[in-house]
Amino acid sequence: MPSKFRYQPCREFNVVVLGAGGVGKSCLTAQFVHNEWIESYDPTIEDSYRTQQSIDGRQVVLEILDTAGTEQFVAMRDLYMKSGQGFLLVFSITSKSSFEELEMLRDDIIRVKDDEDIPIVIVGNKADLEDQRAVDRAKAFALSQRWHAPYYEASARTRTNVDEVFIDLCRQMLRRDDSHDDSRDEPTSNRADEWGAKRRRRKKRKERCIIL
Amino acid sequence: MLDYRGVRTSLQVAPLTIQKTRGRTSGGSSDRVDASGGASVDSQTTPPATPKSSQDATNAIGNSSPVFHNFLRAFYPFHPDYIANDSTVTLPLNEGDVVLVHSIHTNGWADGTLLANGARGWLPTNYCEAYDPEEMRSLLKALLNFWDLMRSTSVNDCELFGNQDFMKGIIAGVRCLLEQTQCLTREAALVQRHEGLRRSRKSLLSELSSLVKTAKRLQDAQRIASTEDVNDVLDDMILKAFKIITKGVRFLDILDDDRRSRVPAVTVMTPLTEEAYIPLTPPADSASSETTQGHAAAAESRPDASGNASESALSAVGDVAPDRVPCGNRLSSAYQRQSAGAFRLSQNSSLQVNRLSSTVSHRVSLTGPSSSSQLHNLVSERLNTCHDTFLSHLGSFIGRLQLQSQSRPSLALDIKQSTTSGGELLFVVDVVCAHSSIHIGALEQARNAMYGRIQNLVHTARDILSNPGPEMEEDVIVPHDNGRLLGAATGCVKSSGECAARARWVIERIGDFEFEFENGSLGIDFGLSELVSIPEEKVKPGVTEPAAIAESTASADTPTASAAVSVASSADTRARSLSIDKPLPDVPPVTSPVSEQPSLHPSLLAPQTQSSCPLDSSVPSSVSSVTSLRPDLPPLPKISTSSLPAENYSPTEPSATQETDFRSFRSETMTASSSGSASTYLSRDSESSIVSQASTRATTPDIAQAPKSQPSLSNLSMTDSLATTEDEDVESKLLEKTYAHELMFNKEGQVTGGSLRALVERLTAHESTPDAVFVSTFYLTFRLFSTPITFTKALIDRFDYVGEAPHVAGPVRLRTYNVFKGWLESHWREEADREALPLIKEFAEVKLAAVLPSAGKRLLELANKVSGVDGTLVPRLASSVGKASTSAFGTGEAPLPAPVISRSQSNALLNWKAGGSCPSIVDFDPVEVARQVTIKQMTLFCSISPEELLGSKWTKHGGVGAPNVKAMSSFTTGLTNLVIDSILNFEEVKKRALAIKHWIKIAHQCSLLRNYDALMAITCGLTATSIKRLKLTWDAVPAKRKEMLKSLQAAVDFNQNFKVLRAQLHDQVPPCLPFLGMFLTDLTFVDVGNPATKTSDTGLTVINFDKHTRTAKCIGELQRFQIPYRLTELPDFQDWLAAQIDGVREKDTPGSNAQAAHYRKSLLLEPRETQQLRTPVEGPSSLPGSSMFSWIRSNNSGVSAALG
Repeated sequence: MPSKFRYQPCREFNVVVLGAGGVGKSCLTAQFVHNEWIESYDPTIEDSYRTQQSIDGRQVVLEILDTAGTEQFVAMRDLYMKSGQGFLLVFSITSKSSFEELEMLRDDIIRVKDDEDIPIVIVGNKADLEDQRAVDRAKAFALSQRWHAPYYEASARTRTNVDEVFIDLCRQMLRRDDSHDDSRDEPTSNRADEWGAKRRRRKKRKERCIIL
Repeated sequence: MLDYRGVRTSLQVAPLTIQKTRGRTSGGSSDRVDASGGASVDSQTTPPATPKSSQDATNAIGNSSPVFHNFLRAFYPFHPDYIANDSTVTLPLNEGDVVLVHSIHTNGWADGTLLANGARGWLPTNYCEAYDPEEMRSLLKALLNFWDLMRSTSVNDCELFGNQDFMKGIIAGVRCLLEQTQCLTREAALVQRHEGLRRSRKSLLSELSSLVKTAKRLQDAQRIASTEDVNDVLDDMILKAFKIITKGVRFLDILDDDRRSRVPAVTVMTPLTEEAYIPLTPPADSASSETTQGHAAAAESRPDASGNASESALSAVGDVAPDRVPCGNRLSSAYQRQSAGAFRLSQNSSLQVNRLSSTVSHRVSLTGPSSSSQLHNLVSERLNTCHDTFLSHLGSFIGRLQLQSQSRPSLALDIKQSTTSGGELLFVVDVVCAHSSIHIGALEQARNAMYGRIQNLVHTARDILSNPGPEMEEDVIVPHDNGRLLGAATGCVKSSGECAARARWVIERIGDFEFEFENGSLGIDFGLSELVSIPEEKVKPGVTEPAAIAESTASADTPTASAAVSVASSADTRARSLSIDKPLPDVPPVTSPVSEQPSLHPSLLAPQTQSSCPLDSSVPSSVSSVTSLRPDLPPLPKISTSSLPAENYSPTEPSATQETDFRSFRSETMTASSSGSASTYLSRDSESSIVSQASTRATTPDIAQAPKSQPSLSNLSMTDSLATTEDEDVESKLLEKTYAHELMFNKEGQVTGGSLRALVERLTAHESTPDAVFVSTFYLTFRLFSTPITFTKALIDRFDYVGEAPHVAGPVRLRTYNVFKGWLESHWREEADREALPLIKEFAEVKLAAVLPSAGKRLLELANKVSGVDGTLVPRLASSVGKASTSAFGTGEAPLPAPVISRSQSNALLNWKAGGSCPSIVDFDPVEVARQVTIKQMTLFCSISPEELLGSKWTKHGGVGAPNVKAMSSFTTGLTNLVIDSILNFEEVKKRALAIKHWIKIAHQCSLLRNYDALMAITCGLTATSIKRLKLTWDAVPAKRKEMLKSLQAAVDFNQNFKVLRAQLHDQVPPCLPFLGMFLTDLTFVDVGNPATKTSDTGLTVINFDKHTRTAKCIGELQRFQIPYRLTELPDFQDWLAAQIDGVREKDTPGSNAQAAHYRKSLLLEPRETQQLRTPVEGPSSLPGSSMFSWIRSNNSGVSAALG
């Protein structure tokens, strides 16, 4: 982390939202990018999934790639993953299979990005449906520890922890970006990510489980 | 309220130039004003200091209540003693005046329009309070809708005023007011008892009646060639609508007084208890002494302000501004055209001054000639509008050219329209030029280029149209000429784009400014007269020829037209949204026109002869021509659809209704297909409705091609209403039970929400057919917000309650029947709708049969038939298939392209079928592979039904509800896997490189076929991690191919929400295979991003119809491409292909990961080359060995070993 103050230009990050079909990840995305005062949401315009956030006083532009509805296009995932610098792995706490699918998704991510330290946040969605819970919190927590990725339980419906998961991911990406900038003066890019594996540092990430 | 906040708040930043030079106070209201403390002269950018000293009052309104109130009511008179100079207009208020607020400045001044007289200006919000009584709410909301609609109607008059829908809201609002006050009928106890109330009610109703009549006149003017000045009528209507509100307010006041007098301790609604003896809003016909005094005060104070103004011109304006009788005769002063004209003149003079001093002026909105001018006075707005119009005209022209035969008159008309609108654009550009002395070099150049292009177009057209060759007896342009015209028109498009862009650039530099735009075509003479004469000669034979007309219907759908228009207009929209600027309030109207005459600028008196002016001097003409604020566009050609079956007229059914129905529908289709970018998706929808409409008509025969000979329903009702007395007319209108107030509209007048019963009411409106989008959306999506049974019940209910209003019952019941019939014939889904069938049958047998026996019989037949038929009785898409393929392939007679397959390749396939060795993908020609893949995919794509796409069905329960979506997506995935697999199957580097090369070629062929789905799949495979990392192999691929791949990838780039792909699809004409995934994502987000219900302004929870319109739009866009390619299918090849895809699919069993498997294979083929070079660094996880094998282990244990 740079201790000295440095002018930080507006960063731009690509976030990829992944998860099985029907876990409500699109709701998360829609809730996050959707300004409530927009009366009608049109997902077909260019910046439908673009949003600017202020993270710890720094301006960050997020381009969110959520290919909701195309889960069946398995082979395309590679392509989508390639563009991501941070990943939101979403499952539904009411669906065990959606939780189990995360493992495979993460393997894919690490293979595609060739980087085991890629920023990831695990999200257990539909937290409002506690009575239908099929995935133990402990299990999710164990996964979180194993992956060193924070775990949140969120609900798009009640808008709980929606912003938090994205902001956490942003922090991770910013932190990583900073450390890269420190080690070399190359602007952040996919290239940097590709070779990032070489100089990876084991960082003790704070592990979190946000209980509702 | 919420509805408007978004938009309105965006307008709240008002560029104000209001001087606070007010030291001397005089007149009646001076006490308070004096108290407001020291007048400051320093600030130029804020409105005058709030006239009341108590700062907290300002705060209360400005800060602590963030809610934007659309209506304010004055509780204290405000008569500014200082008056407007050129840049300031304040609005004098009387107690009880109601104001429509456009924006509120943070300092507490609001820009508003006084409903009493339509004057617009700044007013202090601390003199007012929000006005939103329960009883008036729906009327006030209706007025807002009305206002918005009227302001935005410069473009689509025909569409809007072709029917009376826009009147519904107001009528329903008045009805609501009367209903909630229990004064709905004349016989109501309250009305009977209270004479004042009765009178007030009567005057409210007669005002409404007057508005309704004006609207009818407008509707009429639309139908017959419009001789009347539509703008005047519109202004008139807005004023009348305002009056209705004023009367409504008064009515309510009287009622409140009455209530108070009866129940002393009642809660007080208005703040004016102690002054209640003063009529709150002055009645229409009596000038109270109060207001006269107020006026006198204002008049007295006037010299002060004009003294402030230095220049004489300024003082002239200053005179204009305050010299308004604030209230005395405001309602009674029937809005006079003469005064409006005079006002316009004076306004122009103010404008000139403004241009000199380069400040911004305020104008009067409503008493001015056109309400719509609000939007267009900013030069940037005008520029965009003109450019849009020009492009859409050119677009339709180019579209027409693309067709096989064109009738000369229609071409000539198109050219005329194009050039007229081009002239307008040029004019705007000239204004910009004239306004800025710097920066304009490039603009002038572009302008001249554009001028040249347009002239070129006109000359070309003239040559061609006026010199018919000997072979041109059929009114047809030969292809060669066609090309010339096309070239000229495209040139125009290009140069206008350039010119508009430059102009925008200049505007950005010099700042946006306002100007008066009167007559667009002025000054720019393209020698159109010759052109015009041609159509006039030819029009008659042309119009009666159905073929030519049909062509013109299709024209807007043709590729270039929609392409050119849509691209440009989308760019425009963006530009516009950037340059949003708030229209400033306006100079108050002149009530004494005569006295103003002398102050006219000399040049203004010049007769309107600018049409002969040289181009570059056309700027002054903006000042001098005062006839009409709106561009004088020639009316759009009446286009009819000949796709409807021509049938013989049989007088068994009440045909008059059918007639209107049909006709208004037709005009809607026309607008839908000719409105440029918006039409691209509409075409399909409207087409489908044509079919259903046609089928409807097939069963209730009447005239199909019935131009003006038959009286339409609205004509009839018009005469009816003339026959009856107006009071009765309105009374009966009001007594109609209606749910119109439960509907919500957007700015374009489209329904965005409503209760089911209100939506059903709209579906069965008696005055007009709802637009095609609405109908098709409703049929497609009603199961999402209702159930078949509920819908049926709502329809039956509608059938019942309309009986209370006998004069509309007939048509509405027929409509209801037609809705049922359309449903059964074209939109029936047996498995879902079955449950409603008994209800429908019962309805047909009992209720319907009692009123319309033949219809009842027919409906029963249908209901019996529908359960036995698989699929719909009348296919929905038949005709659009035919049309689109015609437009894409020309005549459709072109022979199918011959398959590119050699004998040996065929033999290899036969051999394989007989059990021999399997040929590889590289054994076949890329062209043929691409074609066969495309055929296969298109077959799958075409079989996707709209129902599969609703409610994210394909993601639920493993996609059982959407088998075809699933099939399509698994084929696409299979294709990607096939690409990867076929490459990794080769052990040798060279062979792998060959395979890659081959697939790149196939991808290229797919892109030529515009098969974006396959293109996506193949590039996806080629760039998959397991392929991408094969460095040795890629080194062996020629650089040329790699470049090709790059450009192919760029075409299906998904970044920025598929920006590139969307742009391409937008312009694309079938046959074309879009990437299905993109639609699926869009539909998913429309579904989750828009709530199912919304809350209307009146606090009602209603169906969010907007969501469903969007869904239908997405699906319509997808359906647009469901048109098969004309390619030859090779059965053997298809079999082989299916086997190949199946082969890779097998490996993709659940639990295993095809991509991971591929990756392992890839690692085996070309191990990590860095393996030996790398030294272990920085911790264990980056050990190449471990990361390499982690994939292999990952399936069972995860990666954690190294991380632990």
